[in-house]
Amino acid sequence: MSIFPPEQRVWWNQPIEKSEVMWITIAFIWALVMFFMMPYWHLVGEQNLSNEAYKIKPEVYAEKVEAWAAKYTVREEGDTGIPVVRPPAGSDVYMLGRLWEWWPVVELEEGQSYRFHLSSVDWQHGWSLLPENINISVHPGYEMIFTVKPTSSGEFGVICNEFCGVGHHTMVGKIHVVGK
Amino acid sequence: MSDTETGPAGDGLSEDIPLMQQLLDSPILLLVIGIVSPMLLYVVWGVMEVIAIPLAQ
Repeated sequence: MSIFPPEQRVWWNQPIEKSEVMWITIAFIWALVMFFMMPYWHLVGEQNLSNEAYKIKPEVYAEKVEAWAAKYTVREEGDTGIPVVRPPAGSDVYMLGRLWEWWPVVELEEGQSYRFHLSSVDWQHGWSLLPENINISVHPGYEMIFTVKPTSSGEFGVICNEFCGVGHHTMVGKIHVVGK
Repeated sequence: MSDTETGPAGDGLSEDIPLMQQLLDSPILLLVIGIVSPMLLYVVWGVMEVIAIPLAQ
């Protein structure tokens, strides 16, 4: 019982009960498994992405996105008034998170790599690509950049998965991927 | 804490107490390590990384 001091002055070298050695070993092995799952999910599962990050003023980022969208807009998404922007294959793609939308809708080509830029102009938002479940946390004042290569065509949804107020559940975006 | 203090057995031997035993027997040292390690590895390292984010071109 730990309420009394150990019987031996130097207790470190006393033999340990088998059952205690076993549970310490099992717990330690499980801790190692969970630790190495972290780099595993990064390398094999392509989660917890390495990304470039830059400091940028929100209004500067908004101007960058609007200029880029104006240059490469191909049509409007239905009657929403949101432009569909199709950048050149292999170039930069910008999305901007603000209360409460991911703007604009982008159209990408399957099999091409793009440098994806994300930032917010007001609060912290989450960018979650569905159904792929790729998630990036997006902060105002910081531009996050990562590489994306669509491997299948279709329509992909983007939702905000960082609670951002009363309209958070309506904050969505869309990515079209077209075949080669 | 002396490396060779006598314990409850009172045997008076000057056997050295192993470092690991000194560590696990010292609540204050365990408290300090338990606070300083996460603070350095998470808060200090994290702040260093955020400060080092470069300006956008």
